[in-house]
This record gives sequence, structure tokens and C-alpha cells, in this order.
Amino acid sequence: MAEQVLPTGPAPARTTPRLLGAPQTLAWASVIAVLLLWESVVRLAHLNPIYLPAPTGIVRALIDLFANGRLGIDLLATLWRIFAGFAIAVVLGVLIGVWMATSERMRAIADLFIAALYPLPKVTLIPLLIIWLGTGGPFMLTISALGAIFPVIINTVVGIRQCDPGLVLAARDLRAQSHQIVFKVLLPSAIPSIFAGIRLGLGVSIILVVAAEMVVGKTGLGARLFLAGQVLETEQVFAVLIVLAILGIVVTKAQDAIDAWLSHWRLD
Amino acid sequence: MSVSSRAATACLEFDAVGLTFPSRSGTPVLALDSVSCRFAPGKVTAIIGPSGCGKSTLLQIARGLLQPTIGGVRFVALGGNAEQMAPEMATVWQAFNLFPWRTVLDNVAFGLEVTGVPRVERNRRAREALARVDLSGFEHKYPRQLSGGMRQRVGLARALVMEPEILLLDEPFGALDAQTRLVLQEQLAGLVETTRTTAILVTHSIEEAILLGDTILVMTARPGRVAAELTVDLPRPRSLATTHDAGYGALFDRIYGLLRDEVLRAMSAETG
Repeated sequence: MAEQVLPTGPAPARTTPRLLGAPQTLAWASVIAVLLLWESVVRLAHLNPIYLPAPTGIVRALIDLFANGRLGIDLLATLWRIFAGFAIAVVLGVLIGVWMATSERMRAIADLFIAALYPLPKVTLIPLLIIWLGTGGPFMLTISALGAIFPVIINTVVGIRQCDPGLVLAARDLRAQSHQIVFKVLLPSAIPSIFAGIRLGLGVSIILVVAAEMVVGKTGLGARLFLAGQVLETEQVFAVLIVLAILGIVVTKAQDAIDAWLSHWRLD
Repeated sequence: MSVSSRAATACLEFDAVGLTFPSRSGTPVLALDSVSCRFAPGKVTAIIGPSGCGKSTLLQIARGLLQPTIGGVRFVALGGNAEQMAPEMATVWQAFNLFPWRTVLDNVAFGLEVTGVPRVERNRRAREALARVDLSGFEHKYPRQLSGGMRQRVGLARALVMEPEILLLDEPFGALDAQTRLVLQEQLAGLVETTRTTAILVTHSIEEAILLGDTILVMTARPGRVAAELTVDLPRPRSLATTHDAGYGALFDRIYGLLRDEVLRAMSAETG
């Protein structure tokens, strides 16, 4: 009789409720519900669009901004600043990280500098960097690279130092030279950790570039956001925020895809 | 399993090798104390001893991965007394030490890759080595996708592809389950009988030492010294059936008698 008491398998399929209850469907349904509620509250309460514009108004502003080409140019400028600086940070960060992980002396020297600079909020460096570099391209690349480089360095060092010493012994046994051990053993084994650092670093780069644009920029999403706020174009403020949010989603999902591809050897 | 390997050209000798390493408390620890021995060319020497007696360390010193504090390692040319360069050697590890991000084929080809063998050639030789350990068809799997026994056969193929003159086996079956271990021991026994490779086998299994060894070095607890050197003159080919031989039982008891005191000494040193 026990078989009748214990559930022995999945419940019979109930197609319609299950489809509605699927996580993806739920996620989109809740977004639409929030937008509908927002739209109706703004319309029914006759809120001033300076305080809270309706979603339809924001979409109209978004289309207008893209149609006259300004927001597209701003987006490209911001993307260039983020990714050029970020690329510099990844290359330099991995190099410095490898150097620190493999050289006792280099680690001793760099440790203290990193301990001092890493926790420092990088936005506090904006005034100094403007004094040194002005407000043009070099400034933007530097602030972007500064944001990403510390997590990349730290995660490269951690990843390499966590490498199984047995793998290094095996490589030496098979006659690998020092540089081959770095490129064929230490770096590949540190890839998951390095990518975790890259993920953190890119997030900081985005924050810093947009913040820097808000302070000094004439172009870029941050500049557009700041100008729109100053003239109380709240619909435009929301439009830029939406672009930034979508940028965040795209970057996160792209990193998920790269992570999955890079660690295919870890999956069964 | 058959294997390509080189016939021995030199004899490996340990000359009063000692090793101390620094410890956290500051007083240096003596791991090996004046170990002198000769590893007969073309034969299997099994090294057995209590855990922590430095037997794996001995292998790393033989391979040149670790420098002894005093004493030295020599390779003496056969049929003469001339010292020569270290011959080709390769190690099979207890923890397999396969590169998890490389496929089986790329793992086996690693040693050829870093020594500059072109891709086509090294893949061909790696496939051959994999065929010898019965792993054809698994070239494009990753180590994670294999069982422990299969992973260690990859480890063996990765060493054999280097065509070593001296094969170093560091507790190669220590991480495997009992049944897999028995099968692989028999296969390795067959392998060393058909080739004239010099092999040094570190193990903590008396059975494994007798089944595979021509000579057995029994080590003391730390600091590791050679307590006894025993010759195994049981007939080959050996298999599990060998364990029913009267000579096997006598040898097993003799080694156990030597080890028992050392293991007890090691245990009391740990607790004391």
C-alpha cells in the first residue's frame, strides 16, 4: 500500500498553468504589469511629467532622441570609452597579475600599492585626472581602465596561485619551460577566476565612464543624462536610463555566454 | 597493453641523498637521510614505506624536479663507469594531474607539444599511445568525463608517449577503487614484463610491490632511509594467482614485519 501513499513521479502535465508559471513568462508578465500600472497611475492622477512621465511618453522621447541621431552618437561615444579603456585594463591587468603571481619580489612591491588603491573609490580620482589629462579621450580611457584593472589584477593573481601544484609538476615532468608553464598551465587554469575579475571590472568601468561624462562630457550617455536633468526633460532622463539598463543586460548576458563557452571543459 | 619505450642505456644511482626542508616552526625537517641505492636497468624497483617517509620525494629527486640538500643523483652508462646526462623520464601521478581544460588527446600530446613536435606528428603519436592503453575513441573527451581508471590510463599514455627510458610511477593506483586497481595492476604487470623499461614504482600496497617489482626497497618512517632491499624471485608472468604462491606469502610477511614497526613509529611520532 505504500506505493499509493508516496508520490512516485512527476504530477500529470497541466499544460496551460505550467506555461503561465514558467519563469520566463512570469518575468515578462510582471514587467508588463508594472508598466501598465505605472501608465494608469500617471494618467489617472494627472501627474506632471516633470516628476514622473508615463512609459508611453518615455518611449516617444527615446524614439525622438534616436531619430535625430544624437542618442546614437552618445551611445557610441560611451561604448568606445568603456571598451577601449576596459581592453587596456584587461591586457595590463593580466600581465601585471601573472608577474605578481610568479615573482615573489613583484608581489611584495605591488601588494601595498594595490592595497592602497583598490578600495579607493575611483570617482575621487576624477578631479586629479582632469588636472593631469584634461577632459578629452586620454582622461576617459584612463578612468575606464582604472575602474577595471584592479579586479582583473587581483583575480589573475588569485586564479594563478590557486592552480593545482600537481599540474605544474606534471608540466615540468613533461619538459615544459617556464614560459610554457605560464601560458599552457597557469593561465588556462586561472581563466574562470580571471573572467570573474573581468566581469567585476567591466561593471566598474561602466559606472566610472558614465560618472565622468556627467562631470565633464559634452557627448556620451552620462552627459546627455546630466543635460536632460538640468533642463527638467524628465522623459529624456528616463530614456537615457533605459539605454543604460539595456546596455547592462546585453553586457551581462554576453559575459554569461562567454563564461559558458570558456568553461565547456568543466561541464559533463 | 604493449608499449613503445627505450631500452635502458644508463643506470640510475642515488649517492647518500639527503633532503631537509624548512618547517613552520623554524626547525628544518629531515625528510630523507643518506639514501643510497641503485635502480637496476630494465627492471622494476618498488619503493614501499609508511606515509610521509619521503618516497614520492625520492621520485621527484630522481626526475630532477627537486634538488637534494646533500648527496647526488647519477646516471652511469651501461657497460662502463662514465657518468652521463639524464635520460628521458616520465612520471605517472597518483592524482593523475591531467589538465582539465585539455581533451584526452591534447593531454597526451602535451609533452610532445612543449618539446616542439609538429601538430600532425604529435597527434599521430598521441593516438598510438591512447590505443596502447585501450582508450581509442576517447580522444575528444575531457578528463572530467572519464572514470578514475580511464583517467589514469590517460596519465599512463601521456608518460609513455615520451618514450621514457625510466618510467616513474608515483602511487599510480592509489586513488582508484579496489577492483579497478586490480585490473590495472595486472595490465601494468603485463606491460613491464613485455618491455625492458626501467621503472620505479612508489606504493604503499605490499601486494602491488610484489606483483610488479623485481626489487623492493623498504623505507623507514621519517627521516626516510632504506631499511631493506629485497629481491622478488617469483616467476613471471605474475597475476592475481601469484598471491596464492607460497613464496608470495613468505615475502608478504617479511615486508609486513619490516613495515609494521615503522608504521607504528610514524604513528607515535604524529601523536607525540
